[in-house]
Formats: sequence, C-alpha cells, structure tokens
Amino acid sequence: MSAAPSLPVRALAALGRPVVAAARATLELWGVLIGTLAGIIRSYGKGGRRPRGAVLAQMYAIGNRSLVFVAVTLGFIGMVMMYQACLQFSRAIGDLSQVGLQFLRLVVSDFGPTLTAMMLATRVGAGIAAEIGSMKVTEQLDALRMSGVLPIDYLLVPRFLASIVMTVALTILGAAIMYGAGGLTAWLSFGVNPRTFFDPAMVQPRHLALGLIKAVTYGAAIPIVSGFCGLRARGSSEGVGWATTAAVVGSSFAVIALDFALSVGALWLFGGDL
Amino acid sequence: MIGERTLTLLGARAIAVTREVGGIALMTGQVLRALLPPRLDGRELVRNLHRMGNRSLPIVALTAFFAGGLMVVQSAPFVKRLGATSLAGWAAGYAVLREIGPILIGLMFSGRVGANNTAELGTMTVTEQLDGLRALAIDPIRYLIVPRVLAMLIMLTALTIIGDLVALVGAAVVAYLVLDIDWRTMYFSFADNLTPHDFFHGVYKSVAFGAAIALTSCYFGVTVKGGAVGVGRAVNAAVVAAAVSIMLLDFFITYATA
Amino acid sequence: MIELRDVGVELGGATLLRGVSLAVPAGARLGVIGPAAAGKSVLVKVMAGLIPPTTGRLIIDGTDVTGWSEEKLAPVRARIGMLFQNYALYDFLDVAGNVGFPLAQRGLAADALGPRVLERLRAVGLAGSEFKQPSQLSGGMKKRAGIARATIAAPELVLYDEPTAGLDPVTTSKVYDLLRADHDASGATAVAVSSDVAGLVTFVTDVVFVYRGQLAYQGPAATLADAPDPLVRQFVSGALDGPLEA
Ligand SMILES: Nc1ncnc2c1ncn2[C@@H]1O[C@H](COP(=O)(O)OP(=O)(O)O)[C@@H](O)[C@H]1O
Ligand SMILES: [Mg+2]
Repeated sequence: MSAAPSLPVRALAALGRPVVAAARATLELWGVLIGTLAGIIRSYGKGGRRPRGAVLAQMYAIGNRSLVFVAVTLGFIGMVMMYQACLQFSRAIGDLSQVGLQFLRLVVSDFGPTLTAMMLATRVGAGIAAEIGSMKVTEQLDALRMSGVLPIDYLLVPRFLASIVMTVALTILGAAIMYGAGGLTAWLSFGVNPRTFFDPAMVQPRHLALGLIKAVTYGAAIPIVSGFCGLRARGSSEGVGWATTAAVVGSSFAVIALDFALSVGALWLFGGDL
Repeated sequence: MIGERTLTLLGARAIAVTREVGGIALMTGQVLRALLPPRLDGRELVRNLHRMGNRSLPIVALTAFFAGGLMVVQSAPFVKRLGATSLAGWAAGYAVLREIGPILIGLMFSGRVGANNTAELGTMTVTEQLDGLRALAIDPIRYLIVPRVLAMLIMLTALTIIGDLVALVGAAVVAYLVLDIDWRTMYFSFADNLTPHDFFHGVYKSVAFGAAIALTSCYFGVTVKGGAVGVGRAVNAAVVAAAVSIMLLDFFITYATA
Repeated sequence: MIELRDVGVELGGATLLRGVSLAVPAGARLGVIGPAAAGKSVLVKVMAGLIPPTTGRLIIDGTDVTGWSEEKLAPVRARIGMLFQNYALYDFLDVAGNVGFPLAQRGLAADALGPRVLERLRAVGLAGSEFKQPSQLSGGMKKRAGIARATIAAPELVLYDEPTAGLDPVTTSKVYDLLRADHDASGATAVAVSSDVAGLVTFVTDVVFVYRGQLAYQGPAATLADAPDPLVRQFVSGALDGPLEA
C-alpha cells in the first residue's frame, strides 16, 4: 500500500483531470477530421474503392429531412428580423429605403449560411450522432472493422461530402427564402416598395465568397463534430442519447465559433469596405 | 405514379405532425391539470433546476459572449464607414436583447438540456421504468414531467437574463478588440439607446421558448419506441420540434407585442 | 494459429485483463468459460485485434501484430470471422446483405455472391429470410445470421462470442451441431465463449476459465468436471457455496 497522496497533489489531480480529458477529446476530434480527409483520399484516390451511391444517398437523406425544416425556420426568422430592423430604422433614421440593401448584404454574408447551419446542426448533426452512436454501442462498427472496413471511410466520408454539398444548397435556398420573407414583411407591414427592397446593388463578389466559405466550413464541421460524438458513444441507449445531445450542442457551438472567426477574418481583410 | 406517391408521403407526414402536435397539446393539458391545485414536489424541482443550470450555464455563457461579439462584428463595416462609433452598441444591443440572445440561448438550451431530458426520459421509457412508476400508483406526469417542465421554464428565463448581460460584455470586449471602441463609449451607446422594453421583449420570449422546449422534449421522451436507435431518433425529433417552435413563437410574440 | 503472451488490458481506468497467456494451435477448438463480466468478450476482442493490449503481445500465425494500424490489420482480419455477443447485425442491410457483406467488401461480384449467401443461409437454417430486416428476426435467428456472416468468407479462425446465450435447449443443440459440422468440414480453428458448459464441451476440445480478468484454469474439456481448481469445479457444477464470488 502506498501512502495517500497529499492534499496539493490531490487538488492538482482534480484540476488536471478535466483538462486532460478536454485535451484528449480535442486530439480525438482532430483525429476524426484527419481520418476523414485521409478517408476521402483512400476512397477516391487512385485505386480506392469508392462506395457507390453512398454520397448521393446521404445527400438525399439530408435534403429530405431538412428542406422543409430549413425553409420554415429561415422564412419565419427572416420576417421577424426584418420587422425588428424596420422598427428600429424608422425610429432612428425615418428612412427605410436602405433597409433592403443592408439586409441582403447581411443575409448573403452571414445570416443565411449561419442560421441555415444552426438548423442543420440540430437536424443533421443529431441524426449523424444517433446513427453512428447506435452502431457503436451495438458493435456494428466492430463488425465493420472485422470485414476490413474503416468505419470512418464507410460511414463518415459519405456524410461529410454530402453535408458540404447540401449545406451550400440549403444555404442558397434558406437565404433566398429569408430575403423574400424579409421583403414581404417590409412591404406589407411598413410599406417599403418591393422594387427598392429587392435591389442587389450592395452585394459584392466578396460577400458571396464569404457566404460560400462559411457554408462550406459549416458543412464540413457539422459531420466531423457529430461523427466524433457518435464514435465516442458508450453503453446502451443512454450512451446514444448522450452522444446525440453532445452533437447538437457541439456542432451548434462550432457554427457560432466559426462564424465569429470567419467574420472577424473578413473584417480584418476588408475593413469598412466589407 | 410519382404524383400519387408524393401526395401519399405528404399526407403521411401531415398526419404524423398533427399527431405530434395533438400529443404535445394533450401533455400540456395534463401538466396544467397537475398544477391545479399547485401541489408540487419542491425538492424534485430544486434538484432539476440545479442539474439543468449546472449543465447549461457554461455553454450558454460562451454562446452569449460570441453572439454579442458577432453582432458588433456584423455592424462593424457600417460603423467603420460612417465613423459612427456610438451606433455600435445600439445596433448590437438591440439585436442581442430582442432576437439573437433569446434564440441562440434557446437553441443551445434545447440542445443541452432539452435533448438530455428526452434521452433520459426515453431511456426510462424503453427500460419500462415509467410502467414501474405507474405500477406503484405514482403519476409520472406529476412526479417526472411537471418538475422538469417548470425547471426548464424557470432556468431558461434565468439563463437568458444572465446571457443578455454576458452578451453585452462580449459586445463591449469585441468592440474594443476589433473596432478600438473604448468601453465607456459602448456603455453610453447601450445606456442611451436601449430601453427596458427591449430587454423585456427578449425575456417574454425566453419564457415561451422554455415552455416549448420543455413540452416537446418531455413528449418525445415518453413516446420513445425501440431501444437505443429509438432514443437517438427521439432526441433528434425533439430538438427539431423545439427549433421549429422557437422560430414560430418568436414570430408570433414579435407581432403580438409590437 | 493465435497466441497471447502475458496480455493485459486497461480501459477507462479499469483493468479488464491481466497476465493472459494462451496459445491456440491451428485446427484446435477452444472454449472460453467464466462468470458474467469476467472479461470473456474482452478476451476474444483482443484476439480479433479490436481491443489493443495495453501490455503483452498478440501473435497471429507467427507474426507479432501488436500495435498494428487498422489498415495493416485488415488482411489479418480477413482470415478471422467473428460472431458478436449481441449479433451486431447491420441495421441498414437486410439479412442477405449482412451475410454477404464480408465478401462484398472484397469486391466479389454480385452474381458470384448470391449463390454463396444462399448456401450459407441454407446451412444455418435461414433460407427464405434473405430479405428480412434484422429487426424482424428472433434472437435465435439473429445468432444464426451472425454465424453465417462470420463464416461466409471461409476464415481460418472463427471467434464465437456466446453463440447460444438466450436460446432454448433445442435451438442450442442445433447451433452446436452446426458449429461441429462447419468446423469438421473446414478444419478451421474455433474459439467459442459460452456460459453453457454442457453444450460447449460437445464442440470444443480444450477450455480456459476466465475469472476477474485472469485465466484461472486451462485444460482439456473432457476432464473439466474433475479440474483441480475449486473455482472451475464450482462453476461447472453450479454449486452455491465455494470460492466463486459473483
Ligand atoms: N470498452 C470497454 N470500456 C470499459 N470497460 C469495458 C469495456 N468493455 C468491457 N468492459 C468491462 O469489462 C468487464 C468485462 O466485460 P466482458 O468481457 O464483456 O464480460 P463477459 O465475460 O461477460 O463477456 C466488464 O466489467 C465490462 O464492464
Ligand atoms: Mg460477454
């Protein structure tokens, strides 16, 4: 028997444990990202065995599950945001002719991709974690490994590629609906002429580029974070529930943090011209 | 026939949604009836509040901080171009208090606490623990659901109030770091332009969001079918339903209080 | 065929296996018995390379494969079949898809695959269930589908984790008849985990007894009831009093 560790040692250990756990989790998360990128090269590089139709099937699954969801939520939030913006503009400036221009800029470079991705983090992220997590706890992933199949290649690579494509596609749809719903609100509630509202003069290629970069980044981050959560699932139904929860929070937060990083980066690049 | 199949699918989807809305309404009724007269297990409520608060405060604070900062970053090109530094706090604060704060905090709370609640109740359902309670003549609504619903409602409201504060701090910090606006300018920009009305507008919303998250998460938890796969699916359905409810309620409350 | 040298496994702060040394020669049939949560499943997963040993070596066919990457292990695993304790049937595939999966992954064309799947399903008594989903099968049918999947690629070593747990006595006998017939025909090495000692000894020739992560006994199956170790004697006889702790 060794002597009980002294108080400072125990205190350090108590403090260190969450830090070590967090560091290990971060490392594992990067491992999933690198494993997925390597998996793309393995599957689609020379001599790779690309899973036939898997990406298309995943694209269909994402679109089928999320199309109505994204359309409804972004439509409503577009109406609300425009309503609040018009209230504020008419109180402060009294002139609503600029509202459409500014709104379009914001929708294209930020709200469209970010809010669509927030919704997809909920829908797609939870779905990926639930699927992969329940396969993990029922040993289906081990069975795949016994057949010489890497679970990341087989399950995560198609979801990763499909998520990027579909996030971009749904962002375009979501942004269009949000913009349309905003214009409708400005017209019906505040009498803003749709012809002044729907004027793309303010949108520059850099806004489109920023929005596209954001959509692609979110589309990549959501399956990586959620797949990581699913692969970590332990136990039985509790483990799957935990993984699904962690995926929603983790991928939603990833979207917010990435939005912040990319927006600050763009501001630093373009300054007041953005 | 493609058209026929699509119609059948749409019809099935509509029936499913109707059934879920009906189920949630039914559960709302049961919860309200269990509260009349208000006989509730105070200890269970406090235990839930403690657990949920512990679990969600860090992520909510972090989210709120970024949300405040983000709104400053979004208004930055405007502010820089016009040189109107006194506008930065106004735009960011208004957006955060009324919309972005309650919505993002609500979504995060739904992901953290609501989803967890569904997973917990779902696991209890698939392991037949709910039937076990009924066999002991304990009403699961009163014993399990009511304390959770109340706890979520109270907790989300409290978290939104805390989150508002954190978001304003986040806005000030980012304004200082990115736009070089000192904190006094930000403070006066908040103080001169924001009204209690803006603050309460967001708080009302958080109460409604809390109720929606609580009811959807409990409903999808107790209706789980089919083991681990079923629990995962229920959690997924619950967070989606909560997100839709948040957006719809946001819309109606915005218009109703205009 | 497969050898463990002083293997220890630690996972999540717990010691799951300690000092396990074991050699299974080619063509042998080894039974693994022991109380619940003793580490039997962990032991066979170590053999399959699914759980890496924390200490010690894993040697397959004379090659030390300890610490190999998943990709390097793939060709080794191609020669091993495994039945998982909880079946681990893919819920995104039907029965035929599950059984044919190991061969399909090796690029076998669909027209060559079909007859082999059918032959295997007939052998395990699942003909006619090709297009059912795993969720539509009973426990015994899932076990048999798992056995068909484990053996379809003609592996040199088959690991069976609880091939008969939860089955009725008649089905249990059928499963052991099937395993005997399979291995008599193929000559493949077998490792079978079971708590049903009476059935197991009709199939295996040697037995190891796992107790709290250690090998408490190794010996021939025939003389199991007279084993010198009181732990084993108590476990086999099902006596209530003895050194065994639940
Ligand atoms: N992946 C794992 N991580 C941590 N502990 C595990 C893991 N797998 C199994 N265990 C633990 O190891 C012990 C032995 O498990 P197992 O080998 O499944 O027992 P059995 O002999 O019943 O098959 C159990 O206490 C179990 O909880
Ligand atoms: Mg076992």
